Amino acid sequence: MRIKKLLVLGSLIVLVLTLSLAFTSGALGYYPLPLPNVRMLAYWYLNTTLNPNYPLFTAMSPEAVTAIVWDYRGLDTLFETAVFFLAIVGALALARGVPLRKASDSVSNGDNSRGLSLICKTATKLLIPLIIAVSASIALHGHLTPGGGFQGGSAAAIAPLLVLVIFSVFFLLDRGVSEKSMLTMRTAGLVGIYLTALAAVLIGMLTGLNAYVFQNQPKLNAPVGIPALFFNALISGTLFFFNVSEYLAVASGFTLALILLSIPEEIVKRFISGEVHE
Amino acid sequence: MIGLDTLTYLFMAVAGVISLIATYLAVVENDLVKAVIFSALQSTVYTVIFYLLMAPDIALVYIPVSVGLYPAVILFLIKKTESTEGDLERSGGGSK
Repeated sequence: MRIKKLLVLGSLIVLVLTLSLAFTSGALGYYPLPLPNVRMLAYWYLNTTLNPNYPLFTAMSPEAVTAIVWDYRGLDTLFETAVFFLAIVGALALARGVPLRKASDSVSNGDNSRGLSLICKTATKLLIPLIIAVSASIALHGHLTPGGGFQGGSAAAIAPLLVLVIFSVFFLLDRGVSEKSMLTMRTAGLVGIYLTALAAVLIGMLTGLNAYVFQNQPKLNAPVGIPALFFNALISGTLFFFNVSEYLAVASGFTLALILLSIPEEIVKRFISGEVHE
Repeated sequence: MIGLDTLTYLFMAVAGVISLIATYLAVVENDLVKAVIFSALQSTVYTVIFYLLMAPDIALVYIPVSVGLYPAVILFLIKKTESTEGDLERSGGGSK
């Protein structure tokens, strides 16, 4: 046991010394961090991200990170989203055949008998609207300030997580936040991402103009663009819709996984062993 | 008078040292619930470093994932399995 601790400590010390050596010998250059001068690629992105003087290159969003994530490099983000949702599909496949609604009915002995104390419950009730509001502002302002759909969605998933821990999973299921409704919301978010990605192509097909998949602002040979302004409010074309869709999809996806994880083990075992039939 | 650069480095160094200690404690801790809390502490100071390195987007996603969702998933798993590392091997105590 003592040897194991010494090994862990020794490896941490070696790691720190190696990293220090790398930094002091100029692995990241001799500049202070963060770098005072941006590199050419970053300069290009910063120069075009909200620049009406370059209408063929701009993403019309002051938030360069969101512009890169959903416009300049949109396809990367699409496949990242696909990976995340394949993981959720895997969780759903593992939990198939466990009827949550029946599990909820079989233990219905009142909401107040389960969960933590009244103090915890009251504090949670006060916190949940705040968490939802903050997460929504992170997601809806994602094209203007740091943040975006994934950030907002994962912050929003904290609210059902608190309810799961402090009340119980059955409290959540009884309030309509079930795996079915979360699946519906997740699908709605994914359809939103899909439609936003194809929006320019659909407009192009209707108007007979050339257009690309994942197109935001008009490009050379493709004059179709999603308007950057909506009643004088900057929505940055597709970025706003991508953020809203991703917000719904990520929040419901995480909630779905947490609901499946928090079903009490004995109930799952009872259903798997076949004591209770559907 | 301490300059802004020095102050930034100082905060980053303190955060790095705290994260290192938390990592060590999380690895050697036998009580898995405590280990998860140390791991969340490590993630929290990483968030500080991300913010100081001017990556607020990463900081925003790192807080809910590393302090909320990831410990929650691990805690659910701990609840469903064993709460102490190597419960069965060392039932008669041992050098800790």
